[in-house]
Amino acid sequence: MRESTKMLLHYITGLGIVVAGGVHLFTVFLTGPYLQNLGFSGGGYSVIAIYRNVLLAATLELLLIFVDYHALNGIRVILIEFHQGTRWERGVSWVLAVTGILLLVYGTRTILIANALA
Amino acid sequence: MAEPLTSELKRALFGWFYPVKYSIERWAYALQRISGIAVTAYFLAHIVETGNVVGGLSVWSVPSTDLARDVWAATFHFLDNPLFDTGLVVIGFMLAYHTVNGIRLTLTEFGLLQGRPARPDFPYEPKSFTKSQRAIFWLSVLFAAATAVYALNVFFGV
Repeated sequence: MRESTKMLLHYITGLGIVVAGGVHLFTVFLTGPYLQNLGFSGGGYSVIAIYRNVLLAATLELLLIFVDYHALNGIRVILIEFHQGTRWERGVSWVLAVTGILLLVYGTRTILIANALA
Repeated sequence: MAEPLTSELKRALFGWFYPVKYSIERWAYALQRISGIAVTAYFLAHIVETGNVVGGLSVWSVPSTDLARDVWAATFHFLDNPLFDTGLVVIGFMLAYHTVNGIRLTLTEFGLLQGRPARPDFPYEPKSFTKSQRAIFWLSVLFAAATAVYALNVFFGV
């Protein structure tokens, strides 16, 4: 992938985070008492109520994808500004790509299982 | 390229965390990086934390709801203390700053608010950092401070 494509994706995911992250923060902080919303169940916006709502769970999955890319690409940009060289840049990209995929798998597992909890 | 990697890293890091004597644009850059790293660290912890909603790292099929509820209650109990709450106030500040300053950077990436090229004159303030960009930068600092105050109120009831 060209560097310009990676950076375009960086800006697109950044704007996506503003929207999806806005929804996420709204449901946690602005829909009722914070402690109630972080309770496992009880109330319309408790942890498990959010995951069971397909639309909100899908928003969380989107947020996960956006933040995963944006954060790790950001770290990549910082690291290749520290030091340049083909080996360094390739190594950094590979390590971060694997990290990103592992985080995505683990986060998606949480969302899918929490959505299916009885 | 003769410089060893560690001293290169040290120099780069020092350049970020010590933007004193540079223009305000450099401060915006340093803060954007620091806040980006801070929020990334929070993101990693948050993925692990929310993984406990379904019972933690070893759970890869749908567990009993009781197990999930107990693990989440224990996790929340562990995290619910002034140390982590203070951390969240800092993360709130960083996230708010990174968001608004990031919008400024997105606008400049697509050529907006760039200003016209001009002759460099004393005191050599960066012409690219236009008045409207300065306004957005200060707005991001203001928004970050407001978020920190809001977070203080939520977590400590100040």
